[in-house]
Amino acid sequence: MDRQQIGLKLAMDSLGIPVQMGTFEDRLVLQKAVYLAEAAEVALGYHFRWYLRGPYCSLLASDGFSVETSQDEADQWTLDGDSLENLRGIQSLMQKSRPADMELAPWLELLASVHFLVSRKQVAHDDIHEILSTLEKYNKRYDKPQVQRALRRLRKHGLLRVPA
Amino acid sequence: MVSFASPPKFVVDSIHGDIHLTPEEWGVVNTASFQRLRHIKQLGMGHFTYPNATHTRFAHSLGVFGIMVKVLDAVERCGFSLSAEKRENLRLAALLHDIGHYPYSHVMETIDSVLLTEEFISSGGEKRTLDTKTTRYPGHEEVGRQIVTSQQDLISAIGGAERAKAIADIFTRDEAADPQFSKLIHGSLDMDRLDYLLRDSRAAGVPYGSIDIHYLLNNVRVDPNTGVVGVSKKALPAAEQFLLARYFMHRAVYYHKTTVAMEETCRQLLRRVRDKGKYGVPQNGQKVLDRVATESLGGFTDAFVDGVMRQALVDDDENVKKLAQAFVNRRPPKLLKEVSILPERGELYHPLATFKMNCQHRLGNLCEEKRISPTLFLFWEAKPFDFEVRGPSFGTEEVKKIVAEGEGVFQEEESIKVFVDDSGEPKSIMDIDDSIMQACAGRRFLLARLYVVSEEKNLVDDLRKEVSMWDQSS
Repeated sequence: MDRQQIGLKLAMDSLGIPVQMGTFEDRLVLQKAVYLAEAAEVALGYHFRWYLRGPYCSLLASDGFSVETSQDEADQWTLDGDSLENLRGIQSLMQKSRPADMELAPWLELLASVHFLVSRKQVAHDDIHEILSTLEKYNKRYDKPQVQRALRRLRKHGLLRVPA
Repeated sequence: MVSFASPPKFVVDSIHGDIHLTPEEWGVVNTASFQRLRHIKQLGMGHFTYPNATHTRFAHSLGVFGIMVKVLDAVERCGFSLSAEKRENLRLAALLHDIGHYPYSHVMETIDSVLLTEEFISSGGEKRTLDTKTTRYPGHEEVGRQIVTSQQDLISAIGGAERAKAIADIFTRDEAADPQFSKLIHGSLDMDRLDYLLRDSRAAGVPYGSIDIHYLLNNVRVDPNTGVVGVSKKALPAAEQFLLARYFMHRAVYYHKTTVAMEETCRQLLRRVRDKGKYGVPQNGQKVLDRVATESLGGFTDAFVDGVMRQALVDDDENVKKLAQAFVNRRPPKLLKEVSILPERGELYHPLATFKMNCQHRLGNLCEEKRISPTLFLFWEAKPFDFEVRGPSFGTEEVKKIVAEGEGVFQEEESIKVFVDDSGEPKSIMDIDDSIMQACAGRRFLLARLYVVSEEKNLVDDLRKEVSMWDQSS
């Protein structure tokens, strides 16, 4: 594993998510969790673009397969303190803030998608209606309360600015 | 057809013959941002092994453009019509697909992936801290997006910022682009590969990249319902040869031991001086993006790296100096051991894994015993080579299921499509029973090497003996 892959493994370990690529949900969780980690200024070196299921990075997909089949070369490394703290915040956003009726994968997809649309200015105004209609354009089936919740949580965790 | 308002411009290419450009495209080629590609070698350090392999990203970009023109013609012959705007955007995306390349192509781009020996070898239980505050260098496509959307000469030549973004969307494979047609540039049967295999093998003087490009292009087919591009069944041998040519070129040329030795020397030196903030090497990914958005883009060429190497000849670190001498005087590090295997995908325990583990656990002692700095040992591992672009550990049925789910997370897993009959849907080349790719697809080519920077023959011989069995379990 190179440094970037070691960073990926350590970040996922900190988030309590094993790097598994066996199912579609596994891969989706990896993509969105790392996207949110990057949004929280844990610079793992992945650049995301918008694809059918929200932010996606092809290098990350490739690294995920490498890390999954590598032996534990990350054992002798640890992340710096700031990154670990930021990841703790993301873990709380991912797990504690998750609605009871929503699985991890769709929750992460929603958080990452809303963050991408707002932070990359794909929506002119970060209001709930425009975000919702943009998500609908991409065939994402989320309702208004779910999007509201995601927006609120992203702001609470400092990933999006709170409107003045 | 493209219309020409003024006398047509064309370039004579050694691989594809005459390549005709519209005045607008000619304007793009003549920008300073595009001309920079004349000063970036296509094959990185390949010329240290093959002296004639000095061709550039500039020639390759024109070649990819030339192939795109032919493919678009072929697509239209199949009755699949494209709007004039889409057609022209695809032509420009092909022309600009490598605009973001770093000096010496992939060499500088990948310095964050370097395995520095002192970090790679076992720390004996002590934890090292990985600082993620330094952003990694972005890939060349990301850098290309930055250049196309920020350099005014290109924006003007392309016709405005909005169109510049649309073109960058195609070569970075953003969702905003037509996903099927953007795969023509980067995918399995893509123009990038069709050109570089031919161009690199011709320049290097080896036959391994020879492919039947005319037959492939004459047999392009398009699914009228989905827009999926592939080739007809009778072109199956040509498609197989294309995929195998990639493999042979990697083994013979791209992974040549001397080329890799020179590239790794350069990469490790750049990484070390970058980490110390020396010689103007951009300190992180953001600095790269900042630099290419300014006038100093023009100086971001092979000459930039050559300049760093020359400055490092008098570096205060003796080991950095040795790396610089090895590079500038073409004294490639000596190969101590190489392990190459072709295991089943997902296989974890094999001689290469053993070799790597032994390097991690035994190299530290060897450094102490022989009194050699770890800096002078270069461990290099090739990116796993897949015969076809399909993720490891997945069978055909699972891929079909994923595609049916219509998701994008797995979108890289595209393989060459073959139209078995003119009326049916195309099949992946790996699903064709009589294709050799079915046999190859379950395997990956893995390669790792250990080099040492030394001119002392006795020491090198001694080290070779020491590591000769490191691919075997003790």
